[in-house]
Amino acid sequence: MEWPTTALEVLSEKPLTVKNPKTWHHTHSYGGWGKFYQGLREKKILATRCTNPECAEKRLWLPPRCECPDCWHPMEWVEAPQTGTVYTFSTVTYPGELFKLPPGTPLISLEIEGVGTKLMSWMKEGKPSFGLPVKAVFNTDNPTHTILDLAWVPA
Amino acid sequence: MIKFGPGNLRIPKFEKPVYCVAGGQTDYRKKYWEKNTSELCIEALRMAVEENDLKVDPEEFRRMVNWVVYSQFADHFGDQLLAAAKIHDYLGFDPLGNIEVKTGGATGGSSVLAAAQAVASGYANCVPVVGWERMDDVSTKVGNSYIASAACKDFESELGWMYTAYYALMAQRYQYENEVPRETLAQIACKNHEYAIYSPFSQNPGKYTIEDVLKNEMVSDPLSFLECCVMSVGAAVLILCDEETAYKLSDTPIKISAICGGSHTLRTADRRDMPILLLPNETEETYKDYKGKRRREWPGFSSFLAARMAAYLAYNMAGIKDPCEDLDLLETHDAFTISDIQTYEDIGLRPYGRGREFIESGDAYYEGRLPTNLSGGLIGTMHAVGATGIFQLVEILWQLQNKWAKFHANPEMWTRFGKKKPAEFRDLQLKNPKRGCAISHAGTGSHVTCAIFEKP
Ligand SMILES: [Zn+2]
Repeated sequence: MEWPTTALEVLSEKPLTVKNPKTWHHTHSYGGWGKFYQGLREKKILATRCTNPECAEKRLWLPPRCECPDCWHPMEWVEAPQTGTVYTFSTVTYPGELFKLPPGTPLISLEIEGVGTKLMSWMKEGKPSFGLPVKAVFNTDNPTHTILDLAWVPA
Repeated sequence: MIKFGPGNLRIPKFEKPVYCVAGGQTDYRKKYWEKNTSELCIEALRMAVEENDLKVDPEEFRRMVNWVVYSQFADHFGDQLLAAAKIHDYLGFDPLGNIEVKTGGATGGSSVLAAAQAVASGYANCVPVVGWERMDDVSTKVGNSYIASAACKDFESELGWMYTAYYALMAQRYQYENEVPRETLAQIACKNHEYAIYSPFSQNPGKYTIEDVLKNEMVSDPLSFLECCVMSVGAAVLILCDEETAYKLSDTPIKISAICGGSHTLRTADRRDMPILLLPNETEETYKDYKGKRRREWPGFSSFLAARMAAYLAYNMAGIKDPCEDLDLLETHDAFTISDIQTYEDIGLRPYGRGREFIESGDAYYEGRLPTNLSGGLIGTMHAVGATGIFQLVEILWQLQNKWAKFHANPEMWTRFGKKKPAEFRDLQLKNPKRGCAISHAGTGSHVTCAIFEKP
């Protein structure tokens, strides 16, 4: 048998410190939530609503859920409005590794009529402010198949 | 869960009293290539067993241990799954049973909770809790990405891969609803960086002015670098016992009168409006004017339901009526300046909307009514995540045992970590403190524990 031909790069001798390379990918199934991302390709914001008539929560869930956390009943898919208002915002100057957008991207949380949650998203144009009316835009040409395929611009 | 049923708010109780007898820790560094993780853990354990005036020798102590709890936040960082098994072996505790606990940033607090449950139930009577984090394997940028994988990877992480940004969204909303001046936030950063000057364990000490903080560069507005916690490597240990074992080991055991946990949705987005859960020092009257044009809901983005739940259970379990009156010191999870103010309200130091008064009044300082983060906290001293909740309680334990100076003022402790005791050193031992509280906190408030330590 031969010795291995690939070696770890030594970063320091004292103490001995080496570099462990990692280059593989993770497979990730969105499962029942996949419909949401597929909806974005058709310029639709798909949310879910509890099908249990006895359930007190009548509002839409966005991010969607497949089961209602309040009563464990299945949800149905419903198209959410494509306008909302900015609930809060921040400009991220130092994002972490893997961020697909440049530093300085404004992140927002949204209030949307009839939706019980406050979706986190980003603004593609304009400057966010509290209560600013915004409308949805969709990345349909080269979708990333992530939440980044939905963004907002001033309405 | 928005509506509580009668079982949901049951106040926890221990079948047997639980004590803490000893604590130990390493110093904390951004990069700690000098020692591997096992070496760090054994160093913290040896400090706990050998330097806390225990009445038995280390060999006898080892023969008393019957369960061990391990505390590490992220397998990503250490790049070693089942790290606890390896640490357990290197600490010489084979073949005793052990368990590793994981609840994000609150892992340390949850681990102490798990150890306390083991002792309280009679399952074990001598339990070391060992926590660590090794965050120097990767760059800061990759480290932030790893931490952001503790946000929802389907609907949040891609938006910045940066936890500071998720806190910044809450911070902006809190500012909008409550109008806290930047100067007040800067005060928290200055205080905790300064107290870190007096700790040989600290990673990020410094004397800063309000102006320095205001001029500091933003990570994600409104949070600047000086207002954010550090990323650390280090380890911390606590020893928990039942009453008989505690007095066999120590003349100054400290009682754990409560340690309780709460939770809330991982995504801030999913937090729905609900009635405020009232603490013993609040009534409906306290909040009759709370809601208005800007403050339309609770907990919204301004408050942490998990922290409120944990405090509600712990205060009722320990008989705390008014935290500012009944507690003598506090360690909060000051990951960010604004989240610290939010926490002041969640744990009832001031009513919701008035958290700023806790720092502005001077209450939070060494000289004040409820000295907070004399350890230097996460902003000044450390956030080696799995060790953090344990570190907070080690510092509280030493204060309650009047041993703060032994571990901070001794010049040998400084040279041990390659440092020199500063000329401007201040003794931060409180005068005979009786009861201390620590808040351990994960996510944007996904898990929070509240621990109350007191002199028996
Ligand atoms: Zn339902």
